[in-house]
Amino acid sequence: MTKEAEHAIEVEKLTKRYGDLLAVNGISFNVRKGEVFALLGPNGAGKTTTVEIIDTIRTPTSGKVTLLGMDVTKKKHDIVPRIGVLPQGFSSFDRITVRETLQYYSRLFSCMNTDIDGLIELVNLKDKTKEQYKNLSGGLKQRLGIAIALVNDPEVVFLDEPTTGLDPRARREVWEVLLGLKKKGKTVFLTTHYMEEAELLADTVAIISKGKIIAMGSPGELIENNVNYLALTLQSVDEKAFEIVRKMGFEPVLDSHKDIKVRVEHTDDVQKILNAIKDAGASFLSLDVRKPNLEEVFLKLTGEALHEGPAGGRGAE
Amino acid sequence: MNLRVVGANLVVSVKSFYREKTTMFFTIAFPILLILVFGTIFMSQDNVSFHLYVQDLDHTNSSAHLVKTLKLNGKFKITNVDPAVNATQYVRDNKVNLVLIIPKDYEKSLNQSIEFDDPNASVTITYVYDPSSSSVTMKMQILNSVFAYINQGLSGKSPFITTAETSILTKKYRFIEFFIPGIIAMAVMTASLFGTVNVNTELRQKGVIRKLSTTPITRTDWILSNILYQFILAVISTIAMLLVSYAVFNVSLQINAWLPVFIVLDVFTFVGIGMILTRFAKEAQSAAAAANAIMFPMMFLSGSFFPIEMMPGFLQTLARILPLYYVNEGLRASMVFADHRTALSYSAIIGVFAAVVFILGIIATQWEEGK
Repeated sequence: MTKEAEHAIEVEKLTKRYGDLLAVNGISFNVRKGEVFALLGPNGAGKTTTVEIIDTIRTPTSGKVTLLGMDVTKKKHDIVPRIGVLPQGFSSFDRITVRETLQYYSRLFSCMNTDIDGLIELVNLKDKTKEQYKNLSGGLKQRLGIAIALVNDPEVVFLDEPTTGLDPRARREVWEVLLGLKKKGKTVFLTTHYMEEAELLADTVAIISKGKIIAMGSPGELIENNVNYLALTLQSVDEKAFEIVRKMGFEPVLDSHKDIKVRVEHTDDVQKILNAIKDAGASFLSLDVRKPNLEEVFLKLTGEALHEGPAGGRGAE
Repeated sequence: MNLRVVGANLVVSVKSFYREKTTMFFTIAFPILLILVFGTIFMSQDNVSFHLYVQDLDHTNSSAHLVKTLKLNGKFKITNVDPAVNATQYVRDNKVNLVLIIPKDYEKSLNQSIEFDDPNASVTITYVYDPSSSSVTMKMQILNSVFAYINQGLSGKSPFITTAETSILTKKYRFIEFFIPGIIAMAVMTASLFGTVNVNTELRQKGVIRKLSTTPITRTDWILSNILYQFILAVISTIAMLLVSYAVFNVSLQINAWLPVFIVLDVFTFVGIGMILTRFAKEAQSAAAAANAIMFPMMFLSGSFFPIEMMPGFLQTLARILPLYYVNEGLRASMVFADHRTALSYSAIIGVFAAVVFILGIIATQWEEGK
């Protein structure tokens, strides 16, 4: 299979400047057809600028972006009918109902046979079809935005922070919709600053920080390659247990709840610690052994934590 | 250009308009209210009458006859003031703007003038008035003309200068007929300017334009559908205004092909100006302020409400560089005077202006995000 046939998106040395601000700094990556690709990073990392260049909203300062085998700066007219976009801070016409909105966007794409009912069902808005956009909750608006991005049955779907500003329940409802897209085999380009979102949905995650991609791979690969340890937590432990673990050569941390947190490299180490505590006659209430997640990968790579900015913060990054 | 896309956009705009009652009010009901209010004011001006307070200190048949003459003039409703009260105090206490005092010995002086033909016989009628009142000057002018007429009658001579009225119009028109074309021009301007500025700024601020830029709709489709939408609104509001004008004021106006021509030019001009403002106003509030800054001088200086002849010279010059002036005067030329030559020349002027601002508006319209 040729590169063009295999890759839906090819980004090569992409740079974007806003005056003196270098928003995107020479990044390169490919997105395979049929995969869910997540660009993960904090606010201001350059996610939105990157996605808006790829989906033709913005133009790059330098570099080359190919989408479905076409140069995004030269073939916008040919690209637009083949992609679906949920821009950051999506909004629509206040007084137009859910069904009318989908019909409107379907007409913009000159799609005669859009399955409006199917889309409404996909995003679970069946009981809201006659509701005007302004009366929808944030989660329902985002779900409508995703349905709009699908009216032309696009080959590539761009979702720029689809769950930012939503409450946890609404976020999970949007994830359900995105998992449905994944099952349908759509190529999805997703930007997010929620690591659990990237971990749950993405086949490939690219971590972006200060305009540069600092790591890329499947969520499992990223964790495996960057943070190869297990996090052991022992709750309600006798005070002497802390000393026992420390003397074993580990670096335990006592948190505010008097729980011991310790990083170990192998599962054998967990057993060794438990045996040592038991032999010393100390006791503990419960234990938790957890693999690290993308949050910890990001923390290790950048020294910064991923965190959500203000819900209304929608400027281009 | 894709007509299907333009049509889809038009349907969304019309539905939004229909469901947004505030927009409906300002587009249709507000101009109608203006017509009703100003029409009523102008209609009553034809039969204007003033309250006139008269203090008759003479109390004779002659002074009573003078009061009767003032009453018969039709401009005054007479109220008698007790001769015992102080007229100045009466004006202050009763918030009246003028008391006319007929002096004692009025009849005696009058007889001396008539019977003895005494050229030195005269009488002084006194106006005690409040100069802060806006209508008192007009009241005194009417009284002076009545007294001049009486004096001329007493002299026994025919007036040397007489006047004759010859209207340039074949028919007598009322002020309301001059007013309606101005209100139509103003209503179309307001709807086009604010419609363009408000809708585009709001949609841009909310990110709808950004979403649209990821669909096949082009800038040309968008602008064309906006123009068509504004034209539909202009036609609806014009029909509503004309229906009310005919039904309530029984106006007599010429409805001919110039009406849609000037409406189209009005729409293009102010949609063009709106597009230019939208480009430079970052937020909906600043866009509305900029639209107001353009609309209000245009509304009051271009002769929509008042004839520009009432204004000082420099304001008249200013009025003639405002585009709305040419729409106002063009509509009046066609609807009131049936003067097609003037309508043609004004349509040419506003047509050139509309073309220039509309092209600038298209250039100014930012469809995609910054480079």
